[in-house]
Amino acid sequence: MSAVLRVDNLHVSVGGGSGTSSAGAAAAREAVRDVSFTIGRGESVGLVGESGSGKTLTCRAVLGVLPPGVAVTGGGIHLGGGSSGADVELTGLDRRGWDAVRGNRLAAVFQDPASYLNPSLTVGRQLAEQLRLKRRLPRNQTRAAAVELLAAMGLRRATAVYDQYPHELSGGMLQRALIAIAVAGEPELLVADEATTALDAAVQAEVLDLLRQLREERGLALLLVSHDLAVVAEVCDRVAVFYAGEIVEQGPTADVIANPRHPYTEALLRVASLGDWRRRDLEVIPGRPPEPGAMPVGCRFAARCAHATDTCATPVALSTVDDRQVRCHRAATLELVGA
Amino acid sequence: MSTLLAVDGLDVTFDRHRVLADLSLHVQAGEILGIIGETGSGKTTLARAVVGLSPVRAGRITFEGTDLTALRGKARRAWRRAGQVQYVFQDPLRALDPQHTVARIVAEGLVVAGTLDRAAIDARVRAALAQVGLDQSLAARLPGQISGGQRQRVLLARAVALQPRLLLCDEPVSALDASNRNHVLRLLADLRDRSGVTVVVISHDLSSLAGIADRVAVLYGGRLVEQGPIGRVLSEPRHPYTALLTASAPSVRREHPIPARALRPAPDHRPVAAFGPDACSYASRCPFATQACVTAPSTAGSEWSVACHHADAWRSRLAVGAMSTRRTA
Amino acid sequence: MSTLTAVRLPSARLALSVLAVVTFLAVAGGTVAPHDPLLQDPDLALRGPSLIHPFGTDYLGRDVFSRLLAGTGTTVVAALESVGVGLALGVLPGLASLWLGRTVEWVLLRAVDAVMTLPFIVFAIAVTGILGNGLSQAMVAIGVLFAPLFFRVTRAAGLSLTRAHYVEAAELFGASRWRILRTHVWGKVVPTVAVTAAQATGGALLAVSSLTFLGIGVQPPAPTWGGVLASELGFLSQQPWAPVIPAALIMVAVAALNALADAIRPGGAA
Repeated sequence: MSAVLRVDNLHVSVGGGSGTSSAGAAAAREAVRDVSFTIGRGESVGLVGESGSGKTLTCRAVLGVLPPGVAVTGGGIHLGGGSSGADVELTGLDRRGWDAVRGNRLAAVFQDPASYLNPSLTVGRQLAEQLRLKRRLPRNQTRAAAVELLAAMGLRRATAVYDQYPHELSGGMLQRALIAIAVAGEPELLVADEATTALDAAVQAEVLDLLRQLREERGLALLLVSHDLAVVAEVCDRVAVFYAGEIVEQGPTADVIANPRHPYTEALLRVASLGDWRRRDLEVIPGRPPEPGAMPVGCRFAARCAHATDTCATPVALSTVDDRQVRCHRAATLELVGA
Repeated sequence: MSTLLAVDGLDVTFDRHRVLADLSLHVQAGEILGIIGETGSGKTTLARAVVGLSPVRAGRITFEGTDLTALRGKARRAWRRAGQVQYVFQDPLRALDPQHTVARIVAEGLVVAGTLDRAAIDARVRAALAQVGLDQSLAARLPGQISGGQRQRVLLARAVALQPRLLLCDEPVSALDASNRNHVLRLLADLRDRSGVTVVVISHDLSSLAGIADRVAVLYGGRLVEQGPIGRVLSEPRHPYTALLTASAPSVRREHPIPARALRPAPDHRPVAAFGPDACSYASRCPFATQACVTAPSTAGSEWSVACHHADAWRSRLAVGAMSTRRTA
Repeated sequence: MSTLTAVRLPSARLALSVLAVVTFLAVAGGTVAPHDPLLQDPDLALRGPSLIHPFGTDYLGRDVFSRLLAGTGTTVVAALESVGVGLALGVLPGLASLWLGRTVEWVLLRAVDAVMTLPFIVFAIAVTGILGNGLSQAMVAIGVLFAPLFFRVTRAAGLSLTRAHYVEAAELFGASRWRILRTHVWGKVVPTVAVTAAQATGGALLAVSSLTFLGIGVQPPAPTWGGVLASELGFLSQQPWAPVIPAALIMVAVAALNALADAIRPGGAA
């Protein structure tokens, strides 16, 4: 399977600038360390972890929208060649290079759709503009195409929605409209960063269904970022579990959930919702993640891990068994409980 | 168990828009009641009406015989200073004065009440911080200098410091990740178990309620559609909306007795009738609605009540094809 | 707190030093003046700068440097008077319009609208007509015209606070309106009002200078910044450089106030 996106040994640092001089590197705090994953055509991959785990920075590095003072300091992000374009190395792109990629080959939706739309223009006009720009549609065809796309996103009365302003739509409708704008350029990869987090449960399920449907019907690859393992489980083929800036476990979602190999994944499963309404335990993961400035040399989860031993104080690499990757010294011996 | 808070026939209207319609709900002393509903369902308005922040057009809210809707002026101020009912706001960043330290924020209610001296207030503040699991060293920090989870606890500490008998928590965990969410929920459960505080938790997230609540009340469009023991209501919902909520909740296990798709109106769904303001509030969205739904259903049942004309019949009308699991692969 | 840290900015420090000098001169201007500001000497009329008369002399042979120093007090006090009147008539009503109910709000808003529609000249003449012709009276008139500015600034800063959840929380604790104003509102309104006051003081300095330039409010021999400027302008053909000195003094003082206003603006220069 050809990869749409390949992230290789990505490092993202805060406060060091993009320079690789030794002085700068010393001052910088590494927020993402040695992250690698690939997304195949039409595949969906979920990045899951607590706030500050590095999942959002990884996703922003892919989109080239890192906050000021945060920069990629190592590794590569590779957009695979395919029907619509050549191979591109995203970490080296200039502004013009990004313009050719964003909206055309990769697009994104975020948690707060209202802030990504212009409040003084109708939803339809903003979508039509995108269609004109990305699909080079003539002006007299954009309206019909926009209405059709809105309807394809599951918006009822799409013709009416076309002429409505963002404030007239609910959060779920706005997110659908934003997804329409994102897929207007027929990208290969859609990045959804906590895109359903703020929505009501019933609406969240509808938007997740829409994302699944877009995959099936348009062959769209999906990179879904969420703090909620349950959301990832609903949509993603594969999952990468982030902890303190590193991937600690990666593999097929069903497999990882049924049979976690990293103690942190096991802990996440214990606090996640299982859809069992009679369960009355409120498990918590004791302790807090290490502070970004004070990362331990060894396993970063060791301080909170129930299975930690002395060996865990030594650095631990990601090991691959079959199609699973685990960053744990004791992965081979531990018997962990899945869901 | 005795009724601590009784809401009867509550109507709240903003700018001619009816936010709560004829809503009746009783909270038993010592229970944890979950209130669930989507944005705009009126769940926040209900809590704000109880503490006197939403204008009540009709209906009564009584707390152990005291009619809260009748309180005005001095009487209301005296009632508030007694601190028996505490409302915990949804957004800690907006509900905490950015210029006040944590200690000052937690002490505010006690200082306003004016019944304790400075030393006693300090002791209560320390106790409240300890109760919500906050380190005393945070007392001198400003809200902007602590994490989101800690701010949520400060909000809770401010309410707990007054030793209330009823705690109304508005979306206390919606901004937190799973582990922190369970931390805060556990705290609420502990408060009830140790101090006997009655707790009402408002949430749009079923899974956060399922862990702690004894009973659940489901709101839709300003009306109560179902209420009852939480395990039974969520496992065998009797209202189509409750069923949709439970089917929509994301889960790491991919199994739902009824797929959410079967409970949503079809893409080309057209309401079978013109549902006005007196109709069932869910009718225009309900795939099972009939002509009968133009009138609001009465609430049937006491321990487990449901407001639906077709409460017993809608399951038999589930489309057979839709019953197959949504993910066959 | 942010107001104090802003003072560490270089521009704010420079502005503060300028204002400190102006304040010192306003208090002690007459006594540190090297010459009697009123002493005329026809033999020395319209002389250029010298060691004895650093800014030269005017058409009556008076020392310009001494006249500027001695005029500082009158000018600054007049400016502060108008700002004080504006603050008193603007800030408290501004807060009252938010917290004392709809009737009070309606009345105050209409009153402010009415003041804002007053034509300045007519109003100033009316005030001096009632209170008598003098600089102080004229500044009261200007202060009244400042009031809507302070009213609106206070109201704007306080409006979001009436619906702030922490203010609602305080209400739910049974806090009085007065307590809420004191503990939750005052600290957020003061920085904005301070910025406006600093800017308004700059504006008021210009207004005083303009009025005294036109000869309103101050009897001729008494020195003011605007008065000095006016007398120098009369002899522009003989001493074209001379009006620059009082004009520069007015400008520097106004600029310092504006720089200070920028520095203490919440979330502004910092």
